[in-house]
Amino acid sequence: MMQFLSWLESTAASEWVRGSPSLFAFPGILSCHTVGMGLAAGINAAIALRILGVAPSVPVGEMRRFLPAMWFGFWLNFFSGIGLLLGYPTKALTNPDFYLKLALIAAGVWLVGRIRDRMDEFPKGLAVWSLVCWGGAITAGRLLAYTYRHLMAGH
Amino acid sequence: MAHFQVSLVHWLANAAPPVAEFMRSKWGWPMAESIHFLGLSMLVGCIGLFDLRLLGMAKQIPIAALHKLIPWGLLGFAINITSGSLFLLTEPDQYIYNPSFQFKVLFIMIAGLNALLFYVTSWGRVNADGTIHAPRAGKVAAVISLSMWISVIVCGRLLTFYRPGGCPKEGPGLIADCNPQMKPEF
Repeated sequence: MMQFLSWLESTAASEWVRGSPSLFAFPGILSCHTVGMGLAAGINAAIALRILGVAPSVPVGEMRRFLPAMWFGFWLNFFSGIGLLLGYPTKALTNPDFYLKLALIAAGVWLVGRIRDRMDEFPKGLAVWSLVCWGGAITAGRLLAYTYRHLMAGH
Repeated sequence: MAHFQVSLVHWLANAAPPVAEFMRSKWGWPMAESIHFLGLSMLVGCIGLFDLRLLGMAKQIPIAALHKLIPWGLLGFAINITSGSLFLLTEPDQYIYNPSFQFKVLFIMIAGLNALLFYVTSWGRVNADGTIHAPRAGKVAAVISLSMWISVIVCGRLLTFYRPGGCPKEGPGLIADCNPQMKPEF
């Protein structure tokens, strides 16, 4: 495992993400990851709030129409996340918190589908779980910076 | 370094010692960061969604109806002003002298002014029952709002890369005290 991570860190792509002075390398990818987070988690939260009774004059089913913007944020984060992982694979993959974050996102994505299909029935339980999953994913993601045990496999 | 920045740093550094002490504890800073990112998502999720609606997404939803989400976006903003102040009170040097922070504050102020202008110029028409199409001024406000909040996020993330450096562990803690070059120029 460490051998593979060490090799991954030595690839040109990984070195570029980690070491390039370009603002489009690590700082840019990190910025994209945060904008995508706001869109994905934020729009899911807005949909959950509507289901829980906020903005009652909004026809609940029509909130589905914002899902493309939510998915835009999600895929932005999928790809920027791969970029960040490529830069510091050991930092994430040796930290249990990273797998917790992935599990929360997986559960959140599953809930998006469930909520979309049953939105007109006001699935309040699912909406609360959606808030928990996306809020949890944000918190777990933020804590990655403070809980890692190994920054890199190589020197 | 401008005089007012140095005074501001000194004032912030002495404004609330217990806050700085809490923030320097093991989980103080990480907790505040997590809350700051949750607030960010609430802000973008609610205000950004309203902007997208002004621009024509989800036309089936009356604009005035969706506006009821805005207080939740403002709650996110309030959460972030509060959690953001905790960082500022703990490491004022790292923000006040940081160009990325200066731009961040500027963009927040533009976003605020833009919102104010929106309510003055477009809100009357938008708030009429069942309005489907935002007036042009409303769409312009939405574009400005989206680009400002995205810029605020980007500046926030770039803070780390434009840190003004620090003082050696021993000696005075504030840059203006440990680095003579940072003394006020006038």
